[in-house]
Amino acid sequence: MSLLRFEETTLPNGLKVIAEVNPEAKSVALGYFVRTGSRDELVGEEGISHFLEHMVFKGTERRSAWDVNREFDEMGAKYNAFTNEELTVFYGAVLPEFMPRLLDLLTDLMRPAIREDEFETERKVIIEEIALYRDRPHFVLYERAQAAYFGRHPLAKPVLGTPESIAKMTRERMVAYHQRRYLPGNMVLAFAGNLDWEETVALAERMTRDWKPGTAPRNHPAFTPQPRTLREPYAKASQAYGAVMAPGYSASAVQRYAARVLADVLGDPDNGRLYWRLVDAGLAETVTAYHHEFEELGVYLVYAQGDPERQEEVAARIREELLRLQERGVDPSELERAKLKTATSLVFAGETSLSRLFYLGMGYSYTGRYEALGTVRRWVMHLEPYHMDELLEARPFERALEFWLLPEGDA
Amino acid sequence: MAGPIVETLDNGLRVAVEPQPWNPGLSFTLLVPVGATSDPEDRLGAASMLETWLWKGAGPRSAHAFADALDALGVTRQSGAGVEYTTFSASLLPEGFAAALELYADLLRQPHLPDDAFESVRALALQELAALEDQPPRKLLGRLRREAFASPHGQPVEGTRETLERMTPEALREEYRRRYGARGSVLAVAGSVDPDEVLRQAERHLGSWKGEAPEAPAVRLTVPHRFHVQQETEQVQIGLFYKDVPPGHYDFYASRLAAAVLTGGMSSRLFTEVREKRGLVYAVSASPGSVKGFGYLTAYAGTMPERASETLRVLQEGIERLAEGVSRSELDRAKVGVRADLILSGESSRARAGALARDLFILERARSLEEVEAEVMDVTLERINAFLAKRPYRDPWVGTLGSEEVAA
Repeated sequence: MSLLRFEETTLPNGLKVIAEVNPEAKSVALGYFVRTGSRDELVGEEGISHFLEHMVFKGTERRSAWDVNREFDEMGAKYNAFTNEELTVFYGAVLPEFMPRLLDLLTDLMRPAIREDEFETERKVIIEEIALYRDRPHFVLYERAQAAYFGRHPLAKPVLGTPESIAKMTRERMVAYHQRRYLPGNMVLAFAGNLDWEETVALAERMTRDWKPGTAPRNHPAFTPQPRTLREPYAKASQAYGAVMAPGYSASAVQRYAARVLADVLGDPDNGRLYWRLVDAGLAETVTAYHHEFEELGVYLVYAQGDPERQEEVAARIREELLRLQERGVDPSELERAKLKTATSLVFAGETSLSRLFYLGMGYSYTGRYEALGTVRRWVMHLEPYHMDELLEARPFERALEFWLLPEGDA
Repeated sequence: MAGPIVETLDNGLRVAVEPQPWNPGLSFTLLVPVGATSDPEDRLGAASMLETWLWKGAGPRSAHAFADALDALGVTRQSGAGVEYTTFSASLLPEGFAAALELYADLLRQPHLPDDAFESVRALALQELAALEDQPPRKLLGRLRREAFASPHGQPVEGTRETLERMTPEALREEYRRRYGARGSVLAVAGSVDPDEVLRQAERHLGSWKGEAPEAPAVRLTVPHRFHVQQETEQVQIGLFYKDVPPGHYDFYASRLAAAVLTGGMSSRLFTEVREKRGLVYAVSASPGSVKGFGYLTAYAGTMPERASETLRVLQEGIERLAEGVSRSELDRAKVGVRADLILSGESSRARAGALARDLFILERARSLEEVEAEVMDVTLERINAFLAKRPYRDPWVGTLGSEEVAA
């Protein structure tokens, strides 16, 4: 572990390049973390960030869509991309000898051609993707609960968009969005694993030489949660699906690690308080809680899934546990357990270059700093009951939104 | 990288260890040959219910104390029953290994199986069964297995409403006594460990474990046919099931590479034909699978009803055209992909412990990553094409799930 070294630099065009170098790793992972997502979409652009993420793989001036797919496979790259509310991430992991080639390919992809015929084919794929998720009630729950919780705040927007917004999307609109958002000052190029730093920086600089400098703004409108309980029917649900959302801390707040541990005390899937009240009791099949961080705010999220006949009892027990936690705080022994478990999971987060890349790139995108897994572990191990009390004094669970998606007839 | 060390204890328990000296953590998997295949017909779902019930207290500890003891060691656990076996896995820091193994040994050997937890175990099993309705792809692939196998390999892991409702604590305890035992079970460990220490601890905590797993049943298949499952969904789910060569067969690695040509990366045939060229689906894949002594290939796609019959046709043609052979560049890409998968999986202790346990169960031996890599690299173009010509993928079982039947 002591062999790990962090490096960072800013290229003349404004692109930040960072690396966690591990000379012992068998692989190297790299990725572009673009600070853009559904929250940055204007009216009429719903779903464009995610649609663009697909189009990025459909070719550039130098490469056809087939070339792109073939080249990734010729390197045996494990690669993919994802889009959420705030980030669009393109990544891959390869054996070290292929790194320059993977970097060349991913860098080229950041300037996609967005060809009309590929755009039309991919529009169909996106519509299929939306349909696929509509057959999965737990996904529908998340999307609707998030929309209800965030109301008019841009974090309310669905990442995939809607079949209507995708049907109306134009290539011109996407080209404009790309020009507005994929600017070097709005991106981080991150590496984790076995690589030569000096050489890598020189490559990255050469490959992005033509990129026009620039950065992209983001709105942070004020947000006040509106506590309430909502119940909606869903024809494709046979079980009851519930989410409780309550205000937490942002991705750069010092309290975020404490908030994650607090969520674990509540909703660890094997030994959290909700597990014993609900799953062990046979009332719900699944219940978990976690703390999710966005750029300027965060949320505690409780998820439950179970028998619709007993939904009211499940909801009542969740409320009871949230208020009990808020009133009485955590026991020192519970805290120790949750800390140790989090600390150990951080060790496993460091097993592969790819999981290190996510940790590094996401963390840096939000905070602009490197936080070694080992450092985070130490912070977590230093948490005390009073840190939990400080979080609970804000009385987050009094401001919770409760959202239930229920089979028709049960709502 | 050293290969795995394998020992068999006197009671028949097999132990595999693969040291990863660079890894700060370790993982282990205990595999017991208790799955849907050994569930009696009137007790379908027993293996799955037992797995849940085992966690309700073991050895000197209540369920709560047991969970606390694992958390005090920082153990991340995973467990679950499947078609042929149940696994119990742990990931933790090396210093906690002996204590964690002792807890897992209690779980397998001295579970309380308390009456007062039985009803909640049943309630969870019934909810899990009901929740399958909300996961159309999983539901279809389960049905596909049931349609293809005439032997108990087709039995539903989750059981049926009737068998779950009829289950009694006595019946389930009898299943525990009959099926949980050392012979036929496996302990696999990967990560920062000393193999001698693993063997010492295995002997200490599992050495006096008695019992024997029931024999695995022989595979029998039905006659290939089509079926449809009626359900109101947005997308039609399509599943295909083809016979394939079993693990250990001379052509096994050729078959794996053929699957990679079909579905290994985004330049693979199915992805290119079904998604990239035609935009018919978001998800399309083929996955090689195996049970003891038998291999199969399943393919999956989900699409809107109006495009279902075209999708099924393109999917099936894509697979069956393999009989005409693959090109050199396709084989090269497939090999590079499989090789990279192997090397990357070697970074993860969890992945290695799981793979070693499965190897010992299916093959009765544990392969090193180097061995698998060498076997894959050994497959020449002539060899894979001879295999595909001699043993073409055809005559599949075809299943669909959706609001209307799909025209042939």
